[in-house]
Amino acid sequence: MPKETGIRTEELHIGYRSDLIRDITMSVEAGKIVTLIGPNGCGKTTLLKTLTGQLRQRGGVVYLQEQDRTRLGNIEIAKRMSVVMTNKVRAELMICREVVQIGRYPYTGHLGILSQEDQHIVDEAMIMADVKEIERQLFQNISDGQKQRVLLARAICQQPKILVLDEPTSFLDIRHKLTILQKIRDYAKTQNVAVLMSLHELEIAKNISDTVVALGEGKVLRMGKPDEVFTESFIRKLYQIEGMDTQLLGAMPWEESSRKAENITKNDEQEEPAVNETLQKAGEKNRKPAVIMIQGTMSNVGKSVIAAGLCRIFTEDGYRVAPFKSQNMALNSYITDEGLEMGRAQVMQAECAKTPPLAAMNPILLKPTSDTGSQVIVNGKVVGNMKAAEYFKQKHRFVKDILAAYDSLCESVDIIVIEGAGSPVEMNLKAEDIVNMGLAEMVDAPVLLVGDIDRGGVFAQLLGTLDLFTKKERARVKGMIVNQFRGDATLFEDGIKILEEKGDTKVVGVVPHLPLILDDEDSLSGRFQKKEAKDFDVAVIRLSHISNFTDFDPFEQVKDLSLRYVSKAADLGEPDLIILPGSKNTIGDLQQLQESGMADAILQKANRGTCIIGICGGFQMLGRKIEDPYETEEGGCAAGLGLLPVDTVMNREKTSEKVTGSITHATGVLKGMEDTEVSGYEIHMGKTTPYEEVVEFTQNGSGYCLDNIYGTYMHGFFDRKEVLKAVIEKLATANNKKVDTEHITDYSAFKERQYSLLAKGLREHLDMNYIYSVMGLNHDV
Amino acid sequence: MRKKRTILIFTGMILGIFLMFWINLRMGSMGISGGQILRILTEKENAGMEQSIIMGIRLPRAVAAVFLGGALALSGYLLQTFFANPIVGPFVLGISSGAKLAVALAMIFFLTKGKDIGLTMMVLSAFAGAMIAMAFVLMLSVKVKSMSVLVVCGIMIGYICSAITDFAVTFADDSNIVNLHNWSMGSLSGMNWQQIRIIVLIVIVCFCMTGSIVKPMNAYRLGEAYAKSVGANIIFLRVMLILIASLLAACVTAFAGPISFVGIAVPHLVRTSLKTDTSYVMIPASFLGGALVTLFCDLLARCLFAPTEVSISSVTAVFLVPVVIVMMIKRNDKKQE
Repeated sequence: MPKETGIRTEELHIGYRSDLIRDITMSVEAGKIVTLIGPNGCGKTTLLKTLTGQLRQRGGVVYLQEQDRTRLGNIEIAKRMSVVMTNKVRAELMICREVVQIGRYPYTGHLGILSQEDQHIVDEAMIMADVKEIERQLFQNISDGQKQRVLLARAICQQPKILVLDEPTSFLDIRHKLTILQKIRDYAKTQNVAVLMSLHELEIAKNISDTVVALGEGKVLRMGKPDEVFTESFIRKLYQIEGMDTQLLGAMPWEESSRKAENITKNDEQEEPAVNETLQKAGEKNRKPAVIMIQGTMSNVGKSVIAAGLCRIFTEDGYRVAPFKSQNMALNSYITDEGLEMGRAQVMQAECAKTPPLAAMNPILLKPTSDTGSQVIVNGKVVGNMKAAEYFKQKHRFVKDILAAYDSLCESVDIIVIEGAGSPVEMNLKAEDIVNMGLAEMVDAPVLLVGDIDRGGVFAQLLGTLDLFTKKERARVKGMIVNQFRGDATLFEDGIKILEEKGDTKVVGVVPHLPLILDDEDSLSGRFQKKEAKDFDVAVIRLSHISNFTDFDPFEQVKDLSLRYVSKAADLGEPDLIILPGSKNTIGDLQQLQESGMADAILQKANRGTCIIGICGGFQMLGRKIEDPYETEEGGCAAGLGLLPVDTVMNREKTSEKVTGSITHATGVLKGMEDTEVSGYEIHMGKTTPYEEVVEFTQNGSGYCLDNIYGTYMHGFFDRKEVLKAVIEKLATANNKKVDTEHITDYSAFKERQYSLLAKGLREHLDMNYIYSVMGLNHDV
Repeated sequence: MRKKRTILIFTGMILGIFLMFWINLRMGSMGISGGQILRILTEKENAGMEQSIIMGIRLPRAVAAVFLGGALALSGYLLQTFFANPIVGPFVLGISSGAKLAVALAMIFFLTKGKDIGLTMMVLSAFAGAMIAMAFVLMLSVKVKSMSVLVVCGIMIGYICSAITDFAVTFADDSNIVNLHNWSMGSLSGMNWQQIRIIVLIVIVCFCMTGSIVKPMNAYRLGEAYAKSVGANIIFLRVMLILIASLLAACVTAFAGPISFVGIAVPHLVRTSLKTDTSYVMIPASFLGGALVTLFCDLLARCLFAPTEVSISSVTAVFLVPVVIVMMIKRNDKKQE
């Protein structure tokens, strides 16, 4: 179908006595919804008034269906375009039907008498806008929401190809907002009408629009898909709320967008499909994913592992899955790609679900700072320290954050696996519960209750918990799981019978103790915590804007090696390997290194022949010069560490691709690594050009090396066991140290294997058909 | 419901007009029987005092009441549409007074020259006066956004015009003062058939012109912006509204002097009893309502203190001012709700 333009402007200048906005060039295609946003007084209404001819344009052209508007007569314009404005409409003593009938004006004769057909069109418009029942009521007596719908019906019965609405949702409560927006969207899509409107509510603008146009500072500041416009920095700048706390406003539109934008750029090569997907998603907004909740009789009964296993099983069965836990209490957290903090268990579950971990999967994280107080982290960001009692008093405040996070997950998945916390029947804390049954209630989740037989008293655990539930809560429990069983399961058959009889609930499975190595919350020490250097020491320079430190996780599997994140020059010690990681702000971080003295410390070590590897931003820092002429990061130009004779210029275009290749040359200690296969991914804006004296390290100019200094753009460089093994062994030999590298495997492969084993184990022992059925899914296993 | 009500009220008004018309013919200082009137009207009786009273005095006066009253109410309705406000009329905006001043000045001018002012001249000067006053009000309405302030300004204009009229009258020739004085108080007395012909002609022309803008008028009820968005030619509409309203008001003033409050109160009464504001209904209804009210008020003006005649403005004021006040209070209540 060819694109049909509804309304289009060319270099339009608008304003009253002087130009308010210049050079507006935009268009709205048939069937699309374009929304204007911007602060008060930015010219949204002025633009709409100009487009509809209430104001004279100060320059440029407005085309209605490719015809210059100034060349069209009043009636011809009215047949193409109808409007709904914010002006209070007097319409004294007019019944709603009369108001709607005015819409037939351009089609009636000299006296304006409506024909049978006109009346029929009026009827249809009123039915479409859902105001047929009130057609005989006086317009002045109906509610604002009804008025808005009547005016919409009036606009519809004008049978336009372009519909212009000025803040159609102002003064309306949420129900009326919802209905009017649904009508507008349905109308645009079914009748193939171009819709242009202004909105104050950014959340709505984000969800309903095909394109968003942001006006401010006397120009069109940004125009594009909602996800491209609703980034935090831009919206904050647009509304001049930089640095202001927006908590009072609730969820902000960028909270999901930034993430999506990032995901999109990550899969750059699949940009087209990714965008289509967002559109598709918008279409199926109302679709609710299936959900299952795992609750435990107490802490550490294996909830997270069972939830992780279920995530993997559902993923293997072809569903898009997301884990969720409303509140975690843990010292160790994970930093997502966006730099947001979240609990480790959900990271593991996300990996099981083969999806990138998002802070929304764990909206509230409590990091204990003392026996009675915690640092409270909401949606990945620290909001403050609270005493336990204070948090308990305030926790209802977080309900909306939790639900918003949950809803954001709903948009892109088929199944959500929720993990409860602790025991769901801590009777003294049950009021305003937001982690267990309270949450289950809010999102209407069926519950599986897990008990740990290894710790004893499994009957009391399960049956006691069931007994303490209220009737309503108990009805939510659809099954019980006996976890950590050791020995011969047939011996427990009587036990199952007793549990099912007394508990009047099905035992979904008896899961044996599975000998797996998984990242559960407590086994991974805090990444950035100070650690003792072991005999073989790897130091990662802790940059302020460090990114992608999962790059170095593979080192963690080697026992007699220490992986330290170092932020002070004094802590650098005598490492065998220094790694400069990637950065979100390379020039800024580089300057910080130089100011803090860390740069000198690194240079000193380099002089003494310490092996230094730079990844991505770190690689760029090792070079002689970094320029950022297009301000892709913060702009400017900086001298690098000068260890590698290369220069980097930040480009406008982002390189973003998965790569497999091999090491082409290796100098210095790593000599002999040539032709080792490497795989990973590149995400960077910089283009690095070498000087003559340097040799290529990784292929296609993605990395260079000179003596013991190596740099590459490849993230995940150490993920392959061959690379990791070779690097460690070569350094150990050079420095005369002993490291056991026998067990080294591909890190991700290692984890993957563990997850698959987990899924396999659970499939054997859980009644998956039953679990699918309580989730309302029809899936034959 | 609404249709039934509309039919009922229209029938009522038409019957009322016929009844009032009949009473107007019957009542007077000389008793004339109904049968005799019928015979005179059907031209079976062609002579005598009664015939000349009915045909020369009472009939033209009643016809004038119908047309001038209707014209006033219609003029009021048009102005109310223009200003989107029910508390305006030709009298309160000073348009009637402007016409009155122009007519008075013209009359005196012609009288001093020893000539009688012709009917055409009178209508033209009234129209000119009405337009000048209207122009003044329009200029004010650009500056003054508040409707009540505008109405107060209109009343002030009215006073200034009346003052100048009085001034002129005071210094006019004695012999003409009585005539001028009567006229400037507002009276339907002394209508002749030649005048009636002109009145009917003007009113019918105005009525037809109104018909030509009934469609945009109806759309205009949603406000200027919406009317424009459906394709109505707003400038044409506004010019026509002003022209017709001024012409009607001028016509009334030229022949009967200023008649107060009919233009403001009658459309309101009609609107509230019809419970609609549709232009299609309101234009004829205002006209009929104006005719009915004016017939009634003229009857009272003529007969209440017979043989002395009261000015018709006094009667309309007594009856219609309360209506206007009630209307203002109600509107105020509604605003505060």
